[in-house]
Parts: sequence; C-alpha cells; structure tokens
Amino acid sequence: MTQESQAQSENAGTLKGLLPAERSPSTVRRRTLWSALVALVAALLAMLVWLAGIYEANQVQARLERDVAEAVGDVRAVFAHNAQGLQALQYSHPTPNAWMIDAGTLLREHREILRVEWRDSALQLQAHVDTPFRVPAFDRQGRSDVQSEVVAACANARRFSGPAYASSYFMPMADGLGLEVMEFCLPLQSGANVTGYLIASYALRDVLEGSLTRPMTQNYQISFTEGDGTRLAVFGSIGRGSRIFTARQLMNLPGTSMVLRMDSWRATPDLFPNVLTALVTAMSIALVSVLALLGKDMRRRFKAEHDLADMLAFRKAMEDSLVTGLRARDLQGRTTYVNPAFCQMVGFSAEELLGHSGSAPYWPPESGEEYRQRQLIRQAGNLPPREGYESVFMRKDGSRFPVLVIEAPLINAQGVQSGWMSALLDISEQRRVEELSRAGLERLQATARLATVGEMASLLSHELNQPLAVISGYAAGSLNLLRADPQGAGPIGSEVRLALQRIAEQAERAGKVIKSVHDYVRRRDQVREAVAPQALLDAILPLVHLQARQLSVRVRAEVETGTPCVQCDRTMVEQVLLNLARNAMQAMDSPTILERSLLIGVRAAKTNGTGKKWVEFSVTDLGEGIGPEVQQQLFKPFFTTKAEGMGLGLSLCRTVVEQHGGALEFAANSPHGTVFTFTLPAAGVA
Amino acid sequence: MQPVIDARIFIVDDDASVREALAWLLRSRRLHSQVFDSAEAFQQQLESAPGAAPEQPCCLLLDVRMPGLSGLALFDWLIERQLQLAMPVIFLTGHADVPTAVDAVKRGAFDFCEKPFSGNVLVDRVEQALARSDSLLQARRHAAKVRERQTELTERERDVMRLVVAGLPNKLIADRLDISIRTVEVHRSRVFDKMEVASAVELANLLRDWQG
Repeated sequence: MTQESQAQSENAGTLKGLLPAERSPSTVRRRTLWSALVALVAALLAMLVWLAGIYEANQVQARLERDVAEAVGDVRAVFAHNAQGLQALQYSHPTPNAWMIDAGTLLREHREILRVEWRDSALQLQAHVDTPFRVPAFDRQGRSDVQSEVVAACANARRFSGPAYASSYFMPMADGLGLEVMEFCLPLQSGANVTGYLIASYALRDVLEGSLTRPMTQNYQISFTEGDGTRLAVFGSIGRGSRIFTARQLMNLPGTSMVLRMDSWRATPDLFPNVLTALVTAMSIALVSVLALLGKDMRRRFKAEHDLADMLAFRKAMEDSLVTGLRARDLQGRTTYVNPAFCQMVGFSAEELLGHSGSAPYWPPESGEEYRQRQLIRQAGNLPPREGYESVFMRKDGSRFPVLVIEAPLINAQGVQSGWMSALLDISEQRRVEELSRAGLERLQATARLATVGEMASLLSHELNQPLAVISGYAAGSLNLLRADPQGAGPIGSEVRLALQRIAEQAERAGKVIKSVHDYVRRRDQVREAVAPQALLDAILPLVHLQARQLSVRVRAEVETGTPCVQCDRTMVEQVLLNLARNAMQAMDSPTILERSLLIGVRAAKTNGTGKKWVEFSVTDLGEGIGPEVQQQLFKPFFTTKAEGMGLGLSLCRTVVEQHGGALEFAANSPHGTVFTFTLPAAGVA
Repeated sequence: MQPVIDARIFIVDDDASVREALAWLLRSRRLHSQVFDSAEAFQQQLESAPGAAPEQPCCLLLDVRMPGLSGLALFDWLIERQLQLAMPVIFLTGHADVPTAVDAVKRGAFDFCEKPFSGNVLVDRVEQALARSDSLLQARRHAAKVRERQTELTERERDVMRLVVAGLPNKLIADRLDISIRTVEVHRSRVFDKMEVASAVELANLLRDWQG
C-alpha cells in the first residue's frame, strides 16, 4: 500500500473514532445550554408580563386620577352654577309669590335640588318650593328634624360671608329607600348686612347623575364619601372584578369635607391584561418556537452530518477493503480517481496515477498505441462490452499481468455522463488455474492419443497375428505330413521341407516384430494401483462438463456409499470412462431428444461365485439407443457411426476392461437410451 | 489321414482361416477336430449333447477375443458346469490378451498359446491336454467301476472288506464281528471275487485309488 493511501485510511480511522467519542459530553453541554435558555426565556416572559401588568395598572390609575379630577371639576361646576342660579332668584327683590314661580322654574331645570327655601336673617321660612320630580319628602317628615344642618350651613355661610354647605344627612323615604341630602346656604346680603338666606337641599346621588358624563358613569363607580371613607351616595355601574383601582379627591366645598371617590376594576381571569402583554407573550412564544425549531433543525443537521460522516467512513473503508480495482476517468480520458486496490494492483501511488491523460503509466509501452485507440473509440461514445474485456497492464516494476476491465459510463446527479468508471480484476491467478486445468486437459488428451495408438497397435498385432498363425499352422502341418510320407524323404521332399521351415521361421519372426512393437507401446500396461471410484470421476468430470455444456446435457455422477477402491490402471480407466461418457453425450446430440441426462454410476457388483469382489461402473444415456445391425459390429475395430470417428473408442474400452479382467457390456436403457456397464476388480482382494 | 486316437478336439475361433489352419495342422498329426465359429455355437453343441460329461478324451482350443460371448465368458460357463477338468482349455491369445490368459490359467485353464503359435508346440500341448483328459476320464471310469462293484456287496461283506483293508487278520475280524473264522473266510473270498482282486493288497490299492 502506498503512503498516501495509508494516510487516507488513517484519516478515516480518526474520523470514525472521534465522532462517537465526542458525542456524550456535547450532549450534556447542549442539554445544559438548552435548559438555561428555556429558563431565561421563561423568566423574561414572566418579567415582561409582570412589567406590562404594572405598566397597565399605572396607566389605569393615572387615567382614573385624571377622570376623578375632571369629575370633581364637573360637580363643582354644577354646584357653582346652581349657586349662581339661586343668586339670580333674588336679583329683582321679588315677592315671595313671584320668587316661588322663579324657584319652581329653577327646580324644573335642576333635578338634583330637592327644595329651595327663602329664609330671613333669623332663619324664619319666607317661602319654599319643592322639586316637582319627587314626592315632597319634607312635608311628611317635617323640616324641624334637619334644622341643625340648615343652621350649620347658614352659620358657615355667615362665617365665610358667602355660600356654604353643611354635612350631609340621610333622609328616609316612603318607599323604604332613602336619600342622602346636603344643605346649601346662600346668604342674601344687602351691603354688609345679611338680609336672609336661600337654602337649597341637594340629593347627592342626583348631583352625581346630573353632573357626570355618560362614559364616565359607565366605566366607573362614582361616590361621595366622608373624610373617613363612609359612602354617602353611589352612582355608576357595579363591576364584578376583584382588581379595584380607586382614586379620591376632596370636593373642597366650603363647610364640608366631602370626597369624590372613583372606582375602576379589572376582571381577574384576564391572563393578558392588555395588548402589550399579549404581544409580548405572543412574541416570546414565537421566539421560543423559533428557537425550538432552530434547535430541532440543528439537531437534524447534526445527525445528518454525523450520518454522512459515518457513511463516508463506511464508504471509504469499503473502498479500501475492496480487492477490485476501481478507476474513474473523465470524458477527456484523465484519471480522476483510483482506489487503493488499484494502486496496489499496479504498484503506483495515487498521485502518480491521477490526472494522467493520454497514456497511463500502467500501460505497457508496447501496447500503448492500441490502448490509446481503444480509448478514442470509447470517447467517441461506443459502449464497451458489458461483460468486460481483457487487457494487459504493467506494474511499476515492469511486470505484465492480465486484467479484466468492466467499464461503464459514469452518470452524475444531473443525469449527464461525466466520464467512465472501470472495475478492474487481476486475473493472473485465474489464468494460472486455467493454465493448470488446460495442462490437465492436455495430459488427458495426450493419454487418449497414446491409448489410441496403443489400441491401434494392439488391433494391428491381433489382425496380423491371425494370418501369421494361419501361415505358421499350414507350414507346420505340411512339415508333419512330409515327415510321415515316405515320398517326402526324396530330394524334392527335402527342398520343400526346407522351404516350409523357412516359411515357419519367417512367420515366427514377423510375430516377434509385432510383439516387440506392441510391448513398446504397451509397456505401461502393468501399472495397477488402488483408486477410489470418486477420484476417477473427479478426474474426468471437468472435461465431461465442458462437453456437456456445449451439448446442453445434464450430468449426474453417483457413487454408491461403501463402494470399495478399484485396482486398476488409473489413466486407462479414465480413458474408458471418458470415451463412454463422450459416446453417451453424442448419442443424445439430436434435436428430437429433449431430456438430455447423463448418469455415471458406480457401485459394488454382485460377486460371480469366484470370491473376487468387483466394482461395476455404468454410463447411462437417454439417446435413441443402438440399432440391432450396429450392435453386431459395435466392438469391431475401425467400426464407427461417427463421421470423424476412427472406430477405436469402444474397442479400446473393451481392451482396457478385459486387461483388468473385467467385462464391458451394454444393454438398452428403459424407456430409451443405452447403458454401458463394465466391471473392474476391487482393490485389496486379488 | 484318419485320426488314430479316439479323441475329440474342439476349436472355437471367429476367424475362419485360423480355424481351418488349426484343424488342418491337427489333422497332419492325426488328430480329429471339430470347429465352431463362435462360443455360442459351441455352447449349443454341448447343451444338445445327451450326456453332460464327455465320454472320450477331449480338449478345447479357445480364442480369447471374439464378438458376442468372449472366450473368457465361455470358460466361466464351463467352470460353472465343472467341465474345465475333463475338457482342458487351451486359450489362443494375441499379445494384448496375455495377462488375461495368465489369469485364466490360474483359474484352471490348461494353458494358453500366443498367436502366431510355432507349429508343433501347440499340437504337443494339445496332445498333453488330451492325455490329461484321458487319464482323468479313466480315473473316473475306474472310480465308477469300484463304486459299482461295491454295490454288489452285502452288508456283512462290506464290514469284512473294511476290516480286511484295515489290515486285520481273519481271527480278529471274526472276534470283532462276533462270527466264526470260517464265515469270515467265506465272506473274504466273496469280496475278492466281487471286487475282482486276488489279494488284500490289491483290494486296498483299488479302494485307495477310488477314494484318492
């Protein structure tokens, strides 16, 4: 691995290590911060609400003070106005009767005045008028009861030398209710002498009702009180709230210490006493929500970031642990990315590989031109084969190695091709294995050739031996006859005998030549070893599968459990199995045969009474079977049904099997096809 | 060229010229032979013959490699019928079949002969085989004769004979069988008559041959 990629993997390691370790303290800190923030916001909110409440109370109080001052002004204005009106009654020094008409008019205009009296300087009643709006109260009750108040008021008036009032008193009425009444005394002066008094009785509640404006009476409860707080007259709506705002102001009327009191109220359940508080609260809530959302978003971002880092580390680890080399190139052919496996494969560091356009450093110089051409073709937009192609790359040390390159277009997020992505596999090991299996294949094929030659020699020797035996037989027989016949002793007889002897000798010589050739070819005949049947099958099955794939034949190999090893010439028996399997598969190579199945079975054979154990091999096909006329000649040398066959295969098989003492037979398979069976001796018995 | 020995030689070979040459060669040595072109034909001949056991000395020249039933298979068939002793088998082989032939000899074949055989060597082996067959048949005939003669003996005579062969004198035989010496002598002479022997030694030899 190069230094660079090591550094990369270290980075990935520390990154991965940091993230989870940092997490728990940061969580604690974050929680602390969050709770502090929440507490602060709550405190702020509470304070804001409280301050807003106080502010509002102050506002209300201030307005109340203002209103009470105004009300006091109004009431005083009414009193002052009435005083002037009363003064006006005496302007023309009227007679009591005329005065009474004017006073009646006045009373009709001023409902708050209950009664007006004209008294002389000794307080003796001259004339009086009662208000037309009420039942004359003083008629029923008598005036004498309130004489003290009148006296007190007039005493005050004399003392002040001007109009004065007396303390109020309660006057019960016929309907069970009562009136708070206050006496007013206006001294009538002529020069410095007091000539009489005008006494006016005010109903205090009517004063309030008459002097105050409507909005004021609607919003407040207004009352006259004594200096000690005793209520004298109340007017205005009655509030139900418990928060009462109160303002008092002295009426400052001469002769009385009456105070005007105004009460305002607020409903208790009012959480947001005014708009400001509500606004502040709403904004605070909004602020908290925004903060919470922000926090949530931050958390999500943090999590996403964390996940991303995790994913990145995982990707990186995955990339680094890949054995497949990865290489990305842009559309200009520049290498933009390589993974460590690729670096390791070619032996160059990533820096040496990145950014190369034109020929890459891992291209063998002798193939550079070819690769450049290939790249140009690719850049022209031709897709490389999906299953990949093979190429040869060069390591940094100059050694070549075969690779499988699988290349695909690199499509970016916008769906536009941004380059090419290649996966590269070092297939040198695979090649080596292939080479080995090819060597095994070649060995089997060489053996097959050798076996065929041997079989041919064997057949030739057999075929030649027959006529030689005939020749030799006739020569020997002729000699026998000549010896027995008396005429054979003659000169011609001896010549013929000599010739016959030569013939016999030559026949024998020919036989010896053939034998020596045969022995040479068959010198490895006597190799016998104990071989497990499975090992025999394992040796030939790869080759069988190879052909089976071409002919789409399903191959089954079954070795019955407990089958003993066989004592045999391994190489030759492999040839037998291979020949039979090949024949079987070729027998099924016909378009009419749909189910193509080859079964190679091995089992212990039934003993044939000689005490020797045998192993039976069977090769079964589902072909069309063997016709009767073919059966006759099946084992005949040089007989074949195949166009390119030599006709030695089955003959060879039979020879080999018989050399082992076994027998090769065939039978029809049901429902169709053929079973070839041969036996070989079991090992360890013979 | 008439056969002088009353023997039968069977030749089984799928090659006609070989069959003929062999027959001719044997005839040149005054040996009669009968040829078959396949193992199956020979099987048929044997099975159709009245007696399973051959009456006269015989011998089988058998080619190892033939289409159809092979020489070895025929040999196995003969072993099954226990004919391989009375009818010695000489295998005719090519070079390739030598190991097979050796194996067959181990299992009771008389011999094998590699083709091309050198003239009279094969005929000599055939004669030896016939001689073996002849002696075997004679032994069997002898045994059959002894068995037949024994059946003519009475129970008492058989008892006497057993004791005579054991080498006991007449007196002891009489004691053992609880009969008089005179009676033993009568039995003894009858046994000798029936078994066609002249002495006790001859009788013992006869029985030993039969049993052996």
